[in-house]
Amino acid sequence: MSDLATSGTAAEGFSSRLSWRRHGLLGIGAILVSLVLLAALFADFIAPYSPYELNVVNMLQAPSWAHWLGTDELGRDVLSRTLHAARISVEVALVAVTIGLVGGTIVGIISAYFGGIVDLVLMRLMELLFSFPAILLAIILMASLGTNMLNAMIAIGIIFIPGFSRLARAATQAVLRQEYVEAARTIGMSDLRILGREILPNVSTPLLIEAAVAFAYAVLLESALSFLGLGAQPPEPSWGNMLNTGRGFMAQAPWLGIVPGMAMFLCVLGFNLLGDGLRDYLDPHLKD
Amino acid sequence: MLRLIAVRLAAFIPTLIAASIVLFVAINVLPGSAARAALGIDATAQAIARFEAMAGLDRPLYVQYLDWLGKVVQGDFGKSFQNHVPVGPELLNRLPITLELAILAFIVANFIAIPLGAIAAYYHQRPADSGITFLATILGAIPNFWLATLLILIFALRLRVLPAGGYTPLTVDPWRNLSQMIMPALSLGIVSSALLLRIMRASMLEVLTSDYIRTAHAKGAPERVVITRHAMRNALIPFLTVGAVEFGFLFGGVVIIEEIFRLPGIGSLVLVGIINRDYPVLLAAALVITVVVLTVNMLVDIIGSLLDPRQVHSRGSK
Repeated sequence: MSDLATSGTAAEGFSSRLSWRRHGLLGIGAILVSLVLLAALFADFIAPYSPYELNVVNMLQAPSWAHWLGTDELGRDVLSRTLHAARISVEVALVAVTIGLVGGTIVGIISAYFGGIVDLVLMRLMELLFSFPAILLAIILMASLGTNMLNAMIAIGIIFIPGFSRLARAATQAVLRQEYVEAARTIGMSDLRILGREILPNVSTPLLIEAAVAFAYAVLLESALSFLGLGAQPPEPSWGNMLNTGRGFMAQAPWLGIVPGMAMFLCVLGFNLLGDGLRDYLDPHLKD
Repeated sequence: MLRLIAVRLAAFIPTLIAASIVLFVAINVLPGSAARAALGIDATAQAIARFEAMAGLDRPLYVQYLDWLGKVVQGDFGKSFQNHVPVGPELLNRLPITLELAILAFIVANFIAIPLGAIAAYYHQRPADSGITFLATILGAIPNFWLATLLILIFALRLRVLPAGGYTPLTVDPWRNLSQMIMPALSLGIVSSALLLRIMRASMLEVLTSDYIRTAHAKGAPERVVITRHAMRNALIPFLTVGAVEFGFLFGGVVIIEEIFRLPGIGSLVLVGIINRDYPVLLAAALVITVVVLTVNMLVDIIGSLLDPRQVHSRGSK
């Protein structure tokens, strides 16, 4: 447990920034995330064309007024596809992070609350899952579950469980040492009520911060899976599968290799900045 | 000290076994289409049953696992369902390629992370620090497979100075080998440098505020000597122990990077195994990657404990 406690102090050093910078980066993060969420929610209204509509006459056209980000090898509008792909990324990430968050919180709290052999077994299992390279685990889970979006969500969600469980465990242990939990116990509150009323609200901040960073990672993993042909299947647009098909035509149409990757990058950057910013803002330990 | 190493090694074996169980179960619960993949879609029910009996797929899972593990321990990874070639020698041929890629990428990552992390710490909370920290945020957000695509676009398709993919063994033509490895190594290394940079910065910050650095300054040692000989050297110890774990993460990234650059390593073998539903190949390749990652983590753990006696106690109390 003590190494979990000390790992926070290493982070303390580098997150101490000037306050305007902190808010500035948080602001940029919030703007990028809002743009991605808007695209995901309103792609149908914002996108100038259908993301599926083939138009062989317009194949591989460079960016122009009619097609701001050009067209792909089947004449589809790249901007429209990029906007629609945001929806898949956000959906997958949202469900995956929720699976990781709920699963990890349950495991972590149970581990810390009951301690002893329960703690030992659960944490060993989490450590093991954690030690697998994430992308390898995701690929194997996808192969065994079958390639569809729901399975991508589950596979990525499982990967997040260990990370959240460690946080939830450390935070619960910290809360358990507080006097109000002791007080709740002495007035005869049941275990379940203590968990719900006293512990959950107090461990939610670190978990929320972790969720923002996990969201970025989920977008990355979903894109990687789709890139390898194991996630979203064509013609469904995903940044990963757009990049994968696009790189075959990069010599004639470089935008096909640039645009989907740029969308991924901005989305991941946005959530990372938001996570970092929230950490500095919400976590009193890390404030200057 | 020997006791510590023995304890860690003893704990490592159950970890390996547990990891192999996770992989075996995950791969073998695949809905039974291995036979179909091997025999084609037109295969009759009898042909499938015969194939499964021959490959031992009709036995209970735990029997299959024990049988497989027993053979793996002796270096027998079975035969490919697809072309009946033994998997073991294939792994041996491919492993050096993946190791070379991972090591080069790790060198790239450290080459960026160590100096920049040290500079950021030295100029703590000044513009150089903010700039470098922001750079780390940017680098950390770039998907490595996109960076790989961009590097190909720039250096292979536009400037035509590097090959877009392929592999030549180091022993055959070192120069060509390096020209084929440099873009894959950069794709993996640059992205991994983001986390390492943050670790180096934190590690250096801690050292710079320590008493012995103040003493070194008080003695009148020149600034350059204080920084390079005293501060950096001491900052590198925690950096390497934490940072080497990143080697494990980086090693996982080889699957996608090898695919992009058509490097015939272990990573691309994972994908071959998945696409062909070739269980023995997939299982063996995934196992090798996992074992390398776990071994690196274990070695780092031991080295870290040896270098820093405090860690022995703090980890022991977990």
